[in-house]
Amino acid sequence: MMYRLEAHATEWIDRSASLRFCFEGREYQGFSGDTISSALAAAGVPYVARSFKYHRPRSILSFANHDSNILFQVDGVPNVRGDVTLLRDGMHVAAINTFGGLWHDKARVLDRFSRLLPVGFYYKAFHSKRLFPRWERMFRALTGLGDVTLGAERVSTPKRYGFCDVLVIGGGPSGLAAALAAAQSGAQVALVDESLRPDGHKAPPALVAAVRGSASITVFPATVAAGYYADHWVALMQEARLTKMRAKAVVFATGVIEQPAVFRNNDLPGVMMASGAVRLLTRYGVVPGRRVVIVAANLDAYVTSLELRKRGVMIAAIVEWRAAPESHADVAACVALGIPMLYAHAPYEAIRGPDGGVAGLVVAPLNAAGVLDVKSSRRLECDAVLMSVGWAAAAQLFLQAGGSTRFSEELQQFVPQDFPPGIFAAGRMNGVYDVESRLADGRRAGSQAAAHAGFGAPSDAVVARSTRCPSHPFPVVDHARAKNFVDFDEDLQVKDLENAAQEGFDSSELLKRYSTVGMGPSQGKHSNMNALRILARVRGVGVEQLGLTTARPLYHPVPMKLLAGRGFYPERRTPIDAQHGLLDAVWMPAGNWRRPEYYAVAGESRAMSIDAEVRAVRTGVGLIDVGTLGKLEIYGPDAAELLDRVYAGRYSDLKVGMTRYALMLDEAGVIVDDGVVARLGEELFYFTTTTGGSASVFRELLRLNALWGLDCALVNVTGHLAAFNFTGPSSRAILQELTDVNLREEAFPYLAVRSGHVAGAAARLMRVGFVGELGYEIHVAAGRGAEVWDALFNAGTPQGLRPFGVEAQRVLRLEKGHFIVGQDTDGLTDPQEANAMWAVAMKKPFFIGQRSLAILQARGPKQRLVAIELDVPAPLPKECHLVIEQGAIAGRVTSVAYSRALNKSLGLAMLSPALAEVGRGIQIRIDDGDMVAARITTAPFYDPKNLRQKVGLGSVGLGT
Amino acid sequence: MSALALKLYGRRDRLGLKGPRAAQWLAAQGVAVPTTPNTWMQPTGTGAAEELLAARLGTAEFFLEEGLTGTTLKRIAPSLDGHPPGVYPVLREDSAFILSGEQVHDVLAQVCNVNFAALSLDTRPLIMTLMIGVAVLVVPQNEPGAPGAAAERRDAGERQYRIWCDPSFGRYLGESLGAVVIECGGRTTGVSG
Repeated sequence: MMYRLEAHATEWIDRSASLRFCFEGREYQGFSGDTISSALAAAGVPYVARSFKYHRPRSILSFANHDSNILFQVDGVPNVRGDVTLLRDGMHVAAINTFGGLWHDKARVLDRFSRLLPVGFYYKAFHSKRLFPRWERMFRALTGLGDVTLGAERVSTPKRYGFCDVLVIGGGPSGLAAALAAAQSGAQVALVDESLRPDGHKAPPALVAAVRGSASITVFPATVAAGYYADHWVALMQEARLTKMRAKAVVFATGVIEQPAVFRNNDLPGVMMASGAVRLLTRYGVVPGRRVVIVAANLDAYVTSLELRKRGVMIAAIVEWRAAPESHADVAACVALGIPMLYAHAPYEAIRGPDGGVAGLVVAPLNAAGVLDVKSSRRLECDAVLMSVGWAAAAQLFLQAGGSTRFSEELQQFVPQDFPPGIFAAGRMNGVYDVESRLADGRRAGSQAAAHAGFGAPSDAVVARSTRCPSHPFPVVDHARAKNFVDFDEDLQVKDLENAAQEGFDSSELLKRYSTVGMGPSQGKHSNMNALRILARVRGVGVEQLGLTTARPLYHPVPMKLLAGRGFYPERRTPIDAQHGLLDAVWMPAGNWRRPEYYAVAGESRAMSIDAEVRAVRTGVGLIDVGTLGKLEIYGPDAAELLDRVYAGRYSDLKVGMTRYALMLDEAGVIVDDGVVARLGEELFYFTTTTGGSASVFRELLRLNALWGLDCALVNVTGHLAAFNFTGPSSRAILQELTDVNLREEAFPYLAVRSGHVAGAAARLMRVGFVGELGYEIHVAAGRGAEVWDALFNAGTPQGLRPFGVEAQRVLRLEKGHFIVGQDTDGLTDPQEANAMWAVAMKKPFFIGQRSLAILQARGPKQRLVAIELDVPAPLPKECHLVIEQGAIAGRVTSVAYSRALNKSLGLAMLSPALAEVGRGIQIRIDDGDMVAARITTAPFYDPKNLRQKVGLGSVGLGT
Repeated sequence: MSALALKLYGRRDRLGLKGPRAAQWLAAQGVAVPTTPNTWMQPTGTGAAEELLAARLGTAEFFLEEGLTGTTLKRIAPSLDGHPPGVYPVLREDSAFILSGEQVHDVLAQVCNVNFAALSLDTRPLIMTLMIGVAVLVVPQNEPGAPGAAAERRDAGERQYRIWCDPSFGRYLGESLGAVVIECGGRTTGVSG
């Protein structure tokens, strides 16, 4: 059992500041500076987690912020990482992935049924389509880590862009040396390290002090570089901030990750990495147990033994996997101290004690062939087992950066081989192990990175990789009763990987996906290397023939809040936004704009208000803000030519002072946008796009104009102009009082455009009729928009004017049978299917989509947009409800609304062409599964001859 | 050092111009413009922000903003009514802000991926970029009235940034920038934060 020693000088905790916290309902005490993990360890908590699949008790494995054992639910926040989260007074901590709590987890019974849960059992046992929903529910209930608190407050975390000349990732000796060398070359350096403190590694104090004292080095402690992206930008994750650091060069001094030995029960609480035990001891004064066995396959094991002995911890034995350790002073010191040594021995099985933790380790000698002689095994009594058998390069970021690695047999480690420009590696990740060499390698990399960034001359030093192997080539022991874990996140045993490989999943990529090795929270940091070795054994090949998989960024789990940031949502508002607010507009999103859906009136329901708005337009006058429409200008001798090429209609013959509907197709002949083109001069056009299309249409037109080299210029004035549709039978008379433009029919006919003034503001007026009434689109500079709106509103109010919103406009246009691009059309709809061939000039020499459209015409439509009407008593279908014909889907409703003017429900539907006959009945399946009858009819439903909008029938004078 | 502040500044006369003869036309009107794209100048006098700002956005694209008391644009705008060939006026109703103060680069680093701190004012750079999702035009300047305002300094506390954006994004940009400014201990004028 772990416990805390007396204070020592270099520890990171403040023993004068005691903190109380609660873990799984029990009160504990820690100190300021403790992490959750260190406090739990110091308190002697026997185990702190349950494993993912078998719910086995688990405790600290790496103490390196890697393993899934140390994820906790903390004060309602799931998956808090205990190794690096500082303890707070009053903290409530709970284990995750339990049913009934950590101590009485009901799911622990699964450990007994592990034989029934072999690798890939999901695919083998739960493939029945009929029963799949049941299994899905079961697995959703059983799996997943942590509980999401649905009522949690939104946490806003600022993101930040950072800039540096050289980014050094890793604050060990090589990283510090690299940072200092780069800074001394004149570069601005950012140094990133996961450790909570910059002195968290065994680096010379003078070097740490020099880095701290350098004005050119910005240190990011407690920061994880979690993803590398193009052009040397790296995602740096801090507790409450994501920094997008862009560097001119990057030094990867990311070090190595200690790897576990694989033997039966190697997951028992008390079995942990030796490096983790050293961190616990030196930083927090916590020792792993009272009798410690160290499983050794490298020199680090002996260094650890001496460290523990120095603090008075009893080393029960060093179980040396190799025939004998190398000749080294630390080995000799261990011998001199009388620490029992078992050479050429390996762990066979850890023994579980009554508290669930390790109580002994069965070890066995290895024969000359390296085979375990189990019959000669013996049990070592202990309450902690430390594993020091090897390392794996922390190379994932390097791989993400486009670097490649090769497997070094000498080091039993993947080492960097190819370096993209601006990418450098140093230290143990680079295969350089002893401290002096790491410092030299860091200086070399730092200098070269600085030179790449334009500072100083690059070092030509050559630092040789280590010759002493720090890793055992196969630290894996088979056991008939298994439970020899390779992946602690996913509870994967040796046999699971062997079986997967034998079932044909015998490449590293396939093995990963089938067995899920490396897919848990640690992302294979402890498991990938051993899994590769096992796969290599099964296939009878070398590890070098298998290669590493590259984890996609972010390769270290991060809280979602860091990705969400502040939650910026760029929202556009028209110049009339404040007026809408004063009129009690009910808002709706339209693209990235906010628009009034309708205007709430006291005593009226939503439907009543929309009805009233529609009625005002049909009988008097209405005013709608259409400032969200895309508004573009095109100038120049080739302006008409460009429009002829990008729109399906013809505009070169459009008379000055007139407008024409415009339909835009893509290369496949599909409708992508529409609007109105107005010719203001021989070389000047003004045209509109859909609300959502302005940016993309403008961008595409700019691209095409540059591509074609035409002599014209495009301007996007969408946000710089306010626009209103002032419409209804009374509109002409009211507007005439406010404008110097002659509105008489003969002077300003339907589809004409005029320039003049409205309420004193320079304006463009277009007589267009989306809603089917006499009406004028009025476009004025944004800065004059509010006063023009007010003038129109005030002038119209005595005549019964109502402002109308998007919903009323939808009803009005539907009564006219007009389709809306993107609502009534989809990503496949061509003009013939939308009955819009009238807007297409196929005889033009060229326009975008022309060739495809010709092919589509020859083929015939695959669907057809039709007008439908329903009997009023029938429930109103919703948009996207399906049309069913003989039990099969035959189409869908694209628009539908009740028209009070016509006293019936109207709609548009996209149907199979075979059904698209006027007068035919169709069946629409609505939400509750009932069928509703509708009839195919003709559009427009309202004012079929368009007389009201063309000449203003029903208006009150002025030329009609 | 001045305190961090974001200010929405009032309506100014602005003019955009595009077209192959725009530069010639401006020269004919007596308005000097930068010769290099993505730079700016103040062609009439040295009184910093009170004067006309002329920016070249591209080889044939210009943006001009009048100072508080200037009359240049009022003088030349009527000449455009005749539609001079190769000169295309561009309506500019931008929302415009001034961001200034000691922590200005801290604010900018949270909203934009351009390294403003590294810009040299000697070249009078003009930056067209995205700021929290909105296309903006940014001109870094020394704060008017700061000692040696004409001299190049990298000291954030003596810099100001003039920021223009499409007016439909003005409120969003102002509020969002304002929130960051206030969080950093600054103040806002004319925008809610």
